[in-house]
Amino acid sequence: MNAPTSIVGQPLPRLEARAKVSGRAEYVHNMRVPNMLHAKVFRSTLAHGRIRSIDVGAARAMPGVFAVYTGEDIRKLIAEPYYGPAFHDQPILAIDKVRYVGEPVAVVLAADVHVADNAAALITAQYDELAAVYGEVEAMNSRAVVHEVLKPAGTFADLKYLKDKRDTNIALDFHLRRGDVKKAFAGADHVFEHTFTTQQVLHLPLESFATIAEPGDGSLLLHSSTQSPSFVRTEIARLFGWPDNKVRVKVPYLGGGFGAKVYVKSEALAAACAMLARRPVKYALTLEEQFYMITKHATTLRIKSGVMKDGKITARECEVWWNGGAYADIGPRVTQKSGFTAPGPYDIDHVHIDSYALYTHLPPAGALRGFGIPQLVWAYESHTDMIARELKIDPLAIRRKNILREGRPQATGTPMKDAALELVLERLATRMQWDKGFDKGTGTVKRGRGIAIGFKASISPTTSMAIVNISADGSCALYSSTVDMGQGSDTAMAQMVAEVTGIPIEKITVVHPDTDVTPYDMATLGSRSTFHMGHAVKNAAEDARDKLYALARDVGLSGETTLIPDIFRKKYGMLAGNIVGVGSFIPGYTPPNADGQTDNATPFWMIGATGAEVEVDTETGEFKVTRLVNLVDVGKPINPAIMETQISGATVMQLGFTLQEQMHFTNGQVTNASLADYKIPGIRDIPPMENEAVDAEQRSGPFGAKGVGESGTFGVSPAIANAIDDAVGVRLTSLPLTAEAVFRGLAKKAGRELL
Amino acid sequence: MTPFELAEPRSLREAAVLLTNGGEPAHAIAGGTALMLMMKAGVFQPKRLVSLRAIEPQHSEINVLPGGGLRIGAMATLRSLERSVLVKQAAPVITRTLKTLSNVRVRNVATLGGHLAHGDPHMDLPPVLTALGAHVRTLSPAGERTLAVGEVYTGYYETCLADDELIAELIVPPQTGWRSAYFKITTRAADDWPTLGIAVALRMEANVVREARLVVSAATNTPTRLSAAAGVLLGATPDAAILARCGDAAFAEVELVGDVHGSAPYKQELLRVYVARAIRGALVDRL
Repeated sequence: MNAPTSIVGQPLPRLEARAKVSGRAEYVHNMRVPNMLHAKVFRSTLAHGRIRSIDVGAARAMPGVFAVYTGEDIRKLIAEPYYGPAFHDQPILAIDKVRYVGEPVAVVLAADVHVADNAAALITAQYDELAAVYGEVEAMNSRAVVHEVLKPAGTFADLKYLKDKRDTNIALDFHLRRGDVKKAFAGADHVFEHTFTTQQVLHLPLESFATIAEPGDGSLLLHSSTQSPSFVRTEIARLFGWPDNKVRVKVPYLGGGFGAKVYVKSEALAAACAMLARRPVKYALTLEEQFYMITKHATTLRIKSGVMKDGKITARECEVWWNGGAYADIGPRVTQKSGFTAPGPYDIDHVHIDSYALYTHLPPAGALRGFGIPQLVWAYESHTDMIARELKIDPLAIRRKNILREGRPQATGTPMKDAALELVLERLATRMQWDKGFDKGTGTVKRGRGIAIGFKASISPTTSMAIVNISADGSCALYSSTVDMGQGSDTAMAQMVAEVTGIPIEKITVVHPDTDVTPYDMATLGSRSTFHMGHAVKNAAEDARDKLYALARDVGLSGETTLIPDIFRKKYGMLAGNIVGVGSFIPGYTPPNADGQTDNATPFWMIGATGAEVEVDTETGEFKVTRLVNLVDVGKPINPAIMETQISGATVMQLGFTLQEQMHFTNGQVTNASLADYKIPGIRDIPPMENEAVDAEQRSGPFGAKGVGESGTFGVSPAIANAIDDAVGVRLTSLPLTAEAVFRGLAKKAGRELL
Repeated sequence: MTPFELAEPRSLREAAVLLTNGGEPAHAIAGGTALMLMMKAGVFQPKRLVSLRAIEPQHSEINVLPGGGLRIGAMATLRSLERSVLVKQAAPVITRTLKTLSNVRVRNVATLGGHLAHGDPHMDLPPVLTALGAHVRTLSPAGERTLAVGEVYTGYYETCLADDELIAELIVPPQTGWRSAYFKITTRAADDWPTLGIAVALRMEANVVREARLVVSAATNTPTRLSAAAGVLLGATPDAAILARCGDAAFAEVELVGDVHGSAPYKQELLRVYVARAIRGALVDRL
């Protein structure tokens, strides 16, 4: 009865599908608790200024307003009210200075959300305006400085050297040195150098940020739409100087996260307000307010390669500037953990990388589906095609020549293991029928195709814990702090428990994160859950199964063949008791040395490639993506159906960042902060798409699996740019790729210049 | 959004009374697709709204007039126009325009009257109806009047309608002998606001253009007639050379406004190309 079935690898429907489509699934956004107040913030209208005064009189006088707080009120409660995962640089409400347009300056509490909203609109502030810096390259040497002193969080040993550094916007500089690029450039047949840029965009989960904070007696209960309950608990406890167990964080389903809801977002303000007001406080942002919370780094990327006549790349120098906005969030980790893959999935002996996390006076940037990788792939895969074109080598051939093969060392020195780069590239070539002729179009409609391949390391080292609890009746609960934000983790994890224990999936519930109940997990981010939590869950399930079998043996039964209730009945005389299995996981990891070299940079590699076909209207520059082919290595998928929606979802999201989305700014003020003016892809924007996971296995992964959430983003942008170039010979080096940019390129080629 | 008082009268007469004699200033709301966005953004904060959704059903009717024109009640939803066989027979360009007007959720509730009264230069039907020579009949305490659709718009989000004046119905003249097209050019998402809208109506005798109305929208403050471009067509048989001259004339006669959808110089180039394409599109209308 309890023999393992083969449930892992099946395309089972999601456990929560019925609850979601029938509107029964719980979200913090919809939650309310008795006696609750609503918080609405008043935001800075200035990118950089010293606060002279804040006038909250009119807001406080409005009938129905419970309280109005400023940074000074918060400081009475919390002496050092600054938070952040890498730097303790972000105040709960602005103190002394404002550093970006949209930064929260004051908060109004009222039982009626409309009263809070209207009262917040009555607050005014006077500032002494200071010089501001917006560009990431400009920030390197700008006289305008965002933070006078850097304040790295003590938790990261490798950031300690930045402590108390003054008058710099460089939050972190990461360097990797391998071989001797100078010498290799001198010996190369050709040297190519190109610069690329990406624009600032944002996550826009349809459920915005939301936290309800309920104050207790020296304790807090937070219901929060967060991807990182364990981190929120620790960080809020640190702010109040409490032990972790005085803060309880509960997380139901999330209406999307994409990296926006990691670390502390809406929680600190909600918690501080609840403690000041001594009443439950809900701080829920509108969709429009998301433009002021967290974004994706705009970047400038310079890449230089030494190449031999036959296309072999011998040396590569990369300089990357990440526009981190006013607060570091996890940006320094993006700079570093993604920075080391900047040369691309190629076997290059001589590598030189400089990667800089920069403060600017823009809304903060953090992690967004790919953790910096899509920006890097955009640069190196555009660069690859530009070299190929220049040398008249086929784009596939130059990649085949240089691709990192299994066992070869990547730029960090870490050998590639279970990284199906070659297979992904070959499958892409096959599906694109690359060796066949391609219709290049006629008249004013020209056609082109392009490919791109990228890879990503998993963030490490990080820890996951899980508990599997088997009840006497044979039902089972999995306790895990992995957040199901739409990626289907509940279903995948339950499949693993079912696989190990033999308990039917219908009898397994997944207990949602509750830091008083579910054990620690680093966070649900960076495609880490399937691998890390997957291992913990598998270990916990095996522990539970082994304990069940031991219990059966104790009472003279066979665990393998006896129904679970019969085992418990025999042991306890009735249906009583339970079995608790525990599991934990942390992968091996070697910290890099001063040159960025390590023999173990990551527990696994994610591979993603995209092929694109486009049609370009040569009269207008308008273009249409007519086909997208996505290839990934996700190891052995736990649930192929969910895996495919992860690939297509990631691709569509990156398609928006490639073609449509851009935050526009005037003096640091975002001018299109609404879904009417900032266009995410709609159903009619999605081109014909094919997704395939290659036949691969992550031998170190649970059931051969690894992460899947981000791989679909990697190749999208450069594949389309490469296809446009193939169609009309116009090379775009800035995202987003617009019809106007293509038109301007065509005009320039024709010797015309548009004003 | 600030809470507000909502009245839902059962007749147009009752609505008129509520709009004018309610003491506090009131604003009419029909489908609410535009007003609700403005209210959410806080740029429109009404104390009282008078909903027109429950007024007499004849205000939503679509009728064919003797001679083949259309009379459409202002409360007709855009979706009902889109699905109307009468509209499709009388002026298929309206049907085609509606297919890409916003999205089906908006079309299900947005009304013709609200669409025409809003004054946002990005709306799709004002240029089309201007090209078709359509009129609106309005009602107010001062009486009723009839205006060409093109006359309604006086500036960016500005109309000549008085605060207490409602559009009651739309009259589309018979389109016998006319061929029309509307090109909505979007440069970001498919369901984005247009970067440029171009409407064309041509009265043809054999292969010769006898009358022409060309209208550009979205990149201008109001739907704007392209008279010089239209002039090129008169008495001509539109061939490649004529179309190119038309595009050049349009390029020269109007100054477009740049925004996040495209710079002004790029929109001028789009205009040049799409005027010709829209004329070609009109020539195949009803064929």
